[in-house]
Amino acid sequence: MSDAAATAATAAASGSRARGGGLAAERWLWPLAGLALFVAAWEGAVRGGLMNAVLVPPPSDVVPALFRELESGMWAGVVVASLRHYLAGVAIGSLLGIAAGIAVGLSPKVEAAQAGIARVLRPIPPLAWIPFAIIWFGVSETAAGFIIAIGVFWLNYFSALGAVRQIDPGLIELAHSFGQGGLWRRLAKIVLPGAAPGILTGLRAGLGQGWMTVVAAELFGIPGIGQRMMEASGLLATDIVALYMLTIAALYSLSDLVFQRLTRRALAWMP
Amino acid sequence: MDAVTPPALAHRSAEAAAPAIVEAEGLSFGFPGDASGALVLEDFHLALPRGGFVAVVGPSGVGKSTLLRVVAGLVPQTRGRITVDAAANPGRRPVATVYQDARLLPWRRALGNIEFGLEGLVADRRERRERARTVLAKVGLAEHAGKWPHQLSGGQRQRIGIARALAVEPDLLLMDEPFSALDAITRRGLQDELLRLWRDSGISVLFVTHDLDEAVYLADRVVLLAGRPGRIVEEFSVGLPRPREREGGAFGDTVRTIRAALDESFTHGAGI
Repeated sequence: MSDAAATAATAAASGSRARGGGLAAERWLWPLAGLALFVAAWEGAVRGGLMNAVLVPPPSDVVPALFRELESGMWAGVVVASLRHYLAGVAIGSLLGIAAGIAVGLSPKVEAAQAGIARVLRPIPPLAWIPFAIIWFGVSETAAGFIIAIGVFWLNYFSALGAVRQIDPGLIELAHSFGQGGLWRRLAKIVLPGAAPGILTGLRAGLGQGWMTVVAAELFGIPGIGQRMMEASGLLATDIVALYMLTIAALYSLSDLVFQRLTRRALAWMP
Repeated sequence: MDAVTPPALAHRSAEAAAPAIVEAEGLSFGFPGDASGALVLEDFHLALPRGGFVAVVGPSGVGKSTLLRVVAGLVPQTRGRITVDAAANPGRRPVATVYQDARLLPWRRALGNIEFGLEGLVADRRERRERARTVLAKVGLAEHAGKWPHQLSGGQRQRIGIARALAVEPDLLLMDEPFSALDAITRRGLQDELLRLWRDSGISVLFVTHDLDEAVYLADRVVLLAGRPGRIVEEFSVGLPRPREREGGAFGDTVRTIRAALDESFTHGAGI
């Protein structure tokens, strides 16, 4: 076991050194030190009476709040509910956005035709769709998923469109001259892999944007983290509000980290 | 130009009896996508004998690359006739192209890039892999099968490009300045390797370059283009025996003669 740990440590150290001379300590030590300082200052400011503990809950209150919420099953319940909206919205919005972006990117004429539509619809913030979402779908999970999907759609649409437009035309010619010029072959062998870096960048941005909108969508009473935060704030249970803020931050970081890992593997061919 | 023709060079010599694989007559075309109708190459003619090696030489902008696209059937001509007498056989493609930039798919490993040409041609995946491996070994890169293109040198990438073209066992190989982006040493090595592969395979090669020495070193015949739109200035048969000396007297004479014809085309206004 200590062997494995040593190997892991060596790998981590050599990895960080390869990345630009920094030691592993530098990569982790300073960010952690800064974070610790921030938490300590926050705690100190509340305890020292600089800030009201009800308006700004100290970190030491957030930890017990977490245990209470875990114990009551509330934490798991709202996180699962939010994850459901998030995953459904992000999946649907990303898929449609990528598909539409690729389809439009393949044809300059269609691209020209969509420019006007996109100019009108794209600047509408996802949250501005909430009234329609509620009128169409009621205060339901579908409404939350819809709002998330809208924001994610545009991000993925434009990144996929741009990525397809930027594919080296020489590779398209190559496909034609080696008998792979048919639409589906071209799509599978040139367009999709060639646009993958741009598409994945859009997906990643969408994963982040999804977390921004999921809470806002739930503030209107759709069960999930957002609704729980509104409940807690109505009772001035600010420790619980802070707990869920940090929960979202943790979920976002985790999803981003996992996605980055997967991306790195998928794009191993890039220099 | 009354210079004595070196023995190695005969202007527009009568063709050998071998039937032509590519025949072009009065061929004219513009740049693809240029709607103005302006021609880039005009009144081009060519008879590439089966198994022959013809180089088309000329400055940038005379339509050399477009010529290869027209021969490959990717771009239609404006006027004239072009026939390529190469039929598609099962498991083979009649024509294959090697590009200046190697044009490998960056998301495929070396072997995968060679297999690309075989997809849709050879149904069996294992057979494709086997054929790709054989050709990879032929260009001397067997041990680099698993590398990504960005891990290969320029010369190695171009070898993969050549291997990808040879893997489909074409009758006609179109080469678009394949060595012009390489350093001189690598270029020479690949030229010799190309001649070896050509000799071993009996393939016909249409080779486009702006390097006169390269054309004379490689080809049986050199077609000289110049002007805007491009036109044939002159055609030369290179009778030097192979393997050719790169610096030899006869080689130098041949290059000088062709260069003189090119220079003359410039001074007579046919040039740029």
